[in-house]
Amino acid sequence: MGYFFSRALTNVRQNIFVNVVTVGTITLALLIVSLFLLVFVNLENAAENWSERVQVTVYFDHELAVQEQAVLRGRIMAIPGAARIGYVSRDEALKRFTARLRGQETLLEGVRSDILPTSFEISLKRPHRDTQGVEAFVASLKRIPGITEVQYGEEWVRRFNTFLNFMRLVGALLGVFLVIAVMFIVSNTIKLTIYSRRDELEVMALVGATRFFIKAPFLIEGIMQGAGGAMIAVGLLWGLYEGFLHNAGSFLTFNPATSGLAFLPLEYIYGIAVAGVLLGLIGSLTSLKRFITV
Amino acid sequence: MIQLHNVSLAYQKDATALNGITLRIEKGEFVFLTGPSGAGKTTLLRLLYGALTPTSGQVLIDGQNVSRMAASQIPILRRGIGVVFQDFKLLPNRTVFENVSITLEVLGWGRADIGKKVMHVLKQMGMEGKINLTPQRLSGGEQQRVALARALVNEPKILVADEPTGNLDDANKNQILNIFKEANVRGTTVVVATHDRRLIDNCHKRLVTLNKGEIVEQMEKEGITGESA
Repeated sequence: MGYFFSRALTNVRQNIFVNVVTVGTITLALLIVSLFLLVFVNLENAAENWSERVQVTVYFDHELAVQEQAVLRGRIMAIPGAARIGYVSRDEALKRFTARLRGQETLLEGVRSDILPTSFEISLKRPHRDTQGVEAFVASLKRIPGITEVQYGEEWVRRFNTFLNFMRLVGALLGVFLVIAVMFIVSNTIKLTIYSRRDELEVMALVGATRFFIKAPFLIEGIMQGAGGAMIAVGLLWGLYEGFLHNAGSFLTFNPATSGLAFLPLEYIYGIAVAGVLLGLIGSLTSLKRFITV
Repeated sequence: MIQLHNVSLAYQKDATALNGITLRIEKGEFVFLTGPSGAGKTTLLRLLYGALTPTSGQVLIDGQNVSRMAASQIPILRRGIGVVFQDFKLLPNRTVFENVSITLEVLGWGRADIGKKVMHVLKQMGMEGKINLTPQRLSGGEQQRVALARALVNEPKILVADEPTGNLDDANKNQILNIFKEANVRGTTVVVATHDRRLIDNCHKRLVTLNKGEIVEQMEKEGITGESA
């Protein structure tokens, strides 16, 4: 095994140009894919934030006593999917109403808090925020005695989820096309670089090297090229992120409070490294199969 | 040592490269294969080291049937056969030393033993002063001597050469021929394909003439002994 590693390292040194071309191609390919992933991950994060707005409100026509509140609260939180619950009293409701009508306070003249309903505002856990999830939750909610009026912005939830599914579908399609294109380009580059060294394969075969003996240094070289390409790609992505994208979030969301775009999570980085190694390995393996003919 | 029984090979249905070749080469023999371009010389040599499989007939090396050999057995066969080409087939990125040591690396020799043996062979070839040069910096004759060193370094039983002097001037041709003769004296069976008349005439060895894939004449050192087809 030591022989194969030292042979692979010597090969890299002796064929520096083809190695630079291969590593460069893998780097660019993975950089494109990781930039796409960065955008996708951040869009998912944004969707996650928007879906916080999926909220179910239960209205009551009277103020609830503390004990009554506790009983209902317990029952509601027992329904699968309930994440947080908050009680909105008549006074709180009037406060919010007033805040919303700021500048047009004259409209509120003579309005007292007792004409407004009280309510529970319920946030849902992430997996229950799609249309079916919300509907199932509301159905369970309506089965609790004392609860009659429930609102959850059906149209908004439906549209939001349709948009989310559309975005994921387009993202997945784009991702698949991108990965196919990247695999095609990288495998062809590796094929060309191995083709340029077909004499080496031929000579090795002529002096009686087994297929494994011929292939092993090339495969190790492929793995090193893939790993190298992945490392440079992640490094460049990090550089781009730190240099340009880090603060782009507020620009994109029109919201100065957001902290900016997030970098790729660690498991994605591992994924890119594994993808690089596999690209190098499989690219070399398939090309060698074609060129070891003697 | 080498036996071909009624060997035919067709690259395509109507393009026969060899047709019913029967040939026996004894251990330690020196044989020239000659004939015009396209006669089948290269094809015949390629059959010997398992780069081609005959369409029909049998090729036996040391009693082993090459035509029926499993792919995994071919490398073992080749370790006993040195091969030399007109275009040398040296690796341009490797030094003279590295080009020759490949043969022994494949056999799993240790670094120290490889160093000793390679130096010894390169000395025999008069190349000991150029071990760190790459092939581009060598003359044609020098390159062919390195290729011969690579073929002979593991002392193969058979040496196969395809137009080994095709790219060389007369002085270099003689040098290369002498190396073949020396290897033959040491017991290596030598098969050289060439259409270089001078090489054949200077050597007085067994001559097999091919034309259109058939043996048309066989000449021992003394004279014509037989004809086929």
